[in-house]
Amino acid sequence: MRLRFLASLCCLVLALCYLATARPAAPAWGNASRQIQVFSAVSFQTPASQGIGGSLLAFFNRLGDSSWSVGLHESRYAYDLIESVHVWTLCLFFGLAVMFDLRLLGWTMRSVPVSEVSRRLLPWTVVGFIVMVISGTLLFTAIPVRSYQNIFFRTKMIMLLLAGLNVWIFHSGVYRRVATWDVASAPPRAARVAGGLSLVLWVCIVLSGRMIAYNWFDCDHQPQRPIVNFLTSCVPGQSEEH
Amino acid sequence: MSVLDFFHWCEQSGIGNAIRQSSWLFPVIEAIHLLGLGIIGGAVLVVDLRLLGLGLRRQSAAQLARDAQPWLIGSLLLMIMTGGLLFLSESIKLYYHEAFWFKMASLILAIVFTFTIQRKVILAGEARLSPVWSKVVAVVSILLWSGVGIGGRWIGFS
Repeated sequence: MRLRFLASLCCLVLALCYLATARPAAPAWGNASRQIQVFSAVSFQTPASQGIGGSLLAFFNRLGDSSWSVGLHESRYAYDLIESVHVWTLCLFFGLAVMFDLRLLGWTMRSVPVSEVSRRLLPWTVVGFIVMVISGTLLFTAIPVRSYQNIFFRTKMIMLLLAGLNVWIFHSGVYRRVATWDVASAPPRAARVAGGLSLVLWVCIVLSGRMIAYNWFDCDHQPQRPIVNFLTSCVPGQSEEH
Repeated sequence: MSVLDFFHWCEQSGIGNAIRQSSWLFPVIEAIHLLGLGIIGGAVLVVDLRLLGLGLRRQSAAQLARDAQPWLIGSLLLMIMTGGLLFLSESIKLYYHEAFWFKMASLILAIVFTFTIQRKVILAGEARLSPVWSKVVAVVSILLWSGVGIGGRWIGFS
C-alpha cells in the first residue's frame, strides 16, 4: 500500500513537471539533432574536454542547450513551481529526518522505541527524498553549467555523499543491534554520533542549498581568488556564456 | 501612527539598514529561516501524521505532541526572530505585497489553531475522540502551516 502511494506521488510530481514545461519546450521537440546530442555529449570533442572535469563540463554544456533545459529555464512558471516543491518537501524530508536524528540523540520522543520511529517515520522521509531528488534534478537541468560550477552546489553534493555514507554505516552497524537498545531513552554512543553527524550534515546541506542562488563565487564574477577558481574549476578569461 | 508609518519606521531602523547594506546578512538570515521551516515541518508532521493514523500509531497523540512541543516552539521562535530581521530589511516592499499579508494571516491562524483547538482535541484523548474528527484537525493543521510556507515562498516571487 505504501509502495503504491509512493509510486503515485512520484507520477504526480513528474506529471506536474511535464505539464509545466510542455508548452515552451514543444517547438524544440522537432529538433531531433539536438536531442541526440544530449545523449552522446560525452564522446564529443570540445576544447575543454580534459579529463573527467572537462567532459562533465562539455556534457553539462550540451545539457544546457537541450530543449528540456531551455524549456525549464524559460518557462514562466515551471522553475518557480519546481523550486517551491523542492522547498516544501523540506518539511517532509528534512523535518522528519531531523526528528529521527533527535530521537537517536535522545532529545525527543524518549519513550518511543527507536525501531518504531524508524519503521513508521522513515518511509515518509524516503518519499520526501525521492521528491527532493526529482525536483532537484529538474532544477539542475534548468541551469546545469552554472550549478556545476557553483561552489555551494559542489559543497552540497559532497555533503550529500557523506550523509548517505553516514546512513549506510549506521544501518549496517549499530542499528543491526537495535533490539538491545531499542527502548533506551539515550541510545549507545555510536547511534548518537550517527544522529549528530546526520543532523549537522543535513543542516549544512540545507544552508548550502539556499546559497546556490547567490553568485558571489560564480565563474562570470571575476576576479576571484585562485582557490575559488580552483574549487569551481573555472578558467578565467575563457568564454562563459552560460 | 498608521500601519504604513510603522512599516516606514521599521525600514528606516538601524538593523534594517545594516541588513540591506550587507551583501551576505540577508542570505544567511534567510537560510536560517529556511532551516526553521524544515524543523517546524517535522514537529508538526509527527503529530499530524499520528492524528491521520499514518505515523507513529502505537503512541498516543498527546504523548507525541508533548515530545514535539519544545521543538515546535523553539523553531517557531527561530522563525519569528529571523523572519522579523528579514522584515526589517524590506518592510515597505512587504507592505504592498499581498503574499506578506496572506502569510501573516495564515501564521496567526496556524498558531491559534495549534495551541487551542488542536491541543484540546489531542488532550481529549483517544477514547472520546472520533477518528474522523482527529483527521479533520490534522488536515486543517497541515493546510494552515502550508499556507504560511506558501505565503513565504510567494514573497520571493516579485
